[in-house]
Amino acid sequence: MPISLNYVLKRTFLSILIVIGVIVFTYTLLIITPGDPAVKWAGNPRGPKAHEAVELARRELGLDQPIYIQIARFIYNVFTGNLGLSIAYKIPVTQVVYSGFTSTLELLLFTYILAVPVGVLLGLYSALRRGSSIDGFIQSFSVVLASTPTFWLATIIVLVIYSTTGFLPYGRVSSKLEITTGFQSITGFYLLDSLLQGNIPVFLDVLTRLIPPALAISVYPLGVITRVTRTLIAEALLEDYVKAGVAWGVNRTTILKHFVFRSIIPPIIQTSGLAFVYSMVDAMVVESLVFGRPGLGSILLDALHKADFRVALALVIYLTIFYIIVNTLVDIIQAIIDPRVKL
Amino acid sequence: MDLSRLIQRNLKKTRFIIGVVITTFILFLALFSPWIAPYPREGYGYVPLEYENRKLQPPSLNHLFGTDVLGRDLFSRIAIGASTAIIQAFTVIFLSLLIGLFAGISAAYFKGVVELVLNYLIELFMAIPAIVIALFLRLSTGPGLHVVIISLVTTWWAWYARITYVYAKSIVEMDYVVLAKLSGLSDLKIIERHVLRNIIQPITVQAISDLGSALLEASAINFMGLGLPPGHPDWGVILYEGITSLSLEAFIRAPWLVVFPGLFILITTLGFTLIADPLREDLDPRLRRRWRLWF
Repeated sequence: MPISLNYVLKRTFLSILIVIGVIVFTYTLLIITPGDPAVKWAGNPRGPKAHEAVELARRELGLDQPIYIQIARFIYNVFTGNLGLSIAYKIPVTQVVYSGFTSTLELLLFTYILAVPVGVLLGLYSALRRGSSIDGFIQSFSVVLASTPTFWLATIIVLVIYSTTGFLPYGRVSSKLEITTGFQSITGFYLLDSLLQGNIPVFLDVLTRLIPPALAISVYPLGVITRVTRTLIAEALLEDYVKAGVAWGVNRTTILKHFVFRSIIPPIIQTSGLAFVYSMVDAMVVESLVFGRPGLGSILLDALHKADFRVALALVIYLTIFYIIVNTLVDIIQAIIDPRVKL
Repeated sequence: MDLSRLIQRNLKKTRFIIGVVITTFILFLALFSPWIAPYPREGYGYVPLEYENRKLQPPSLNHLFGTDVLGRDLFSRIAIGASTAIIQAFTVIFLSLLIGLFAGISAAYFKGVVELVLNYLIELFMAIPAIVIALFLRLSTGPGLHVVIISLVTTWWAWYARITYVYAKSIVEMDYVVLAKLSGLSDLKIIERHVLRNIIQPITVQAISDLGSALLEASAINFMGLGLPPGHPDWGVILYEGITSLSLEAFIRAPWLVVFPGLFILITTLGFTLIADPLREDLDPRLRRRWRLWF
């Protein structure tokens, strides 16, 4: 195994440093943006008890203490998952974010499980037939895909599906079906839960509601991965070992499978990992406004409409942590499978 | 190779020409839309008095792209929206580029603590999604252009800082930079003459292609209702108003409300990409290499 514990530890330490940086940054945002931080933290309270609520928030944040103590306290609170109750939902902020997170993650994972192989195949085909009209088509197609606004495509998809079939891909699962079959989610991943419980009607319903948003979100990874794969394979085919293999009369499929394809897996994983975290925002926009799915997007909108600063803060922090975790994992996986990465 | 020669050479490529034509068209709209738009006041959000008889009309010669729920001429709104789109994309990229160049070159040139701290900040700000910063700003300051600009610059500068850093890092180790230092040339002069001049071209090309991504992100923020206020001539806002103002049944009968603004975002983004891609291939010899068919 070409990976050392030292590397993993170093990478983890750096990640924790960045997480602390993000927490400090969000706290600074709370302090330096216009308005009293205590009022923001209390959620712009109105009515007779408004004054008390603001005073309570002031004590909670420790605004009467020096700034470094405030920040240290805030960091401690984030790491213990204690960011207070959400203004909009009246349950702990951490729980709010987590409940939306599983839904969005399910959608994203579903999208990527489909989009990455398709992108790689398209790129591979394009690279092998380079210069042909199909290659030209795939290339222009991927450029157009990368320029398409996801939320716009999502709206068009809803319009087309609804006007042709009368089916409305709205929400995660039909509530009627949920009641009649007694479906209950344990992990928050509906697709997995319904399958494990053997609840086929719910499984199919969840699936049909996943496909339209996934189609819209897949635009970005599909475009990026097709392009990257094409470049990587075309480059790899120029390498001397391919030339030597062809000269020795090695079967072309063997060359492709054992040498070329193997060499492009690590960069493909890296590209997909990066695209994955970027797609998170796409998923949030699409799922909430267009498909009416509960998730991080709907939480963001609720925070907007109810002026819930606590959820806003938590979203900044936890989304960044998610980004860092995915990135760190991708780096470590890459180090494990690619012997060329020196650690 | 200087930029004008680079552009001249690329004028033979169809892709590049399409990109130039699209971008010129959008820039033209952005500059002259108040005179092109048939109903410029409606474009800026004014609701016509006789709106009851004018609302939700399908595209016709009178209203090229139809009218919206408040009877405003959609073509006028979209045409005037071009300037908002251009302002957002260019401001975001320009400011990020300035900060990024400054940070990236400083990190590569001064080394030591500066390098360490700046690299840490780059990692940090690349990890924060712009949309949640937009939410935060929107909550504390209310809607406006500044929400879009600040939230995007906060994340985009780190991207340029990183690219600049990578380029500059290889340059500051070159012999001629070392020599310039030994001969007593001031830091500022070295940076200006040797470092900046060498990296400005690839970075500019990258910036052109990023204009599209910045527009997509800005539109997404506006589409979520986080950036510009309702009624503002912006393609994202127009889309947002289109889908939130109507029930789905009514919406099905008025697809022009979403088709056209989205199409303009798509075309504009495509234009920037088509200009930047051929330029990038020219600058990067790896991409220019002819593919010999061994396989």
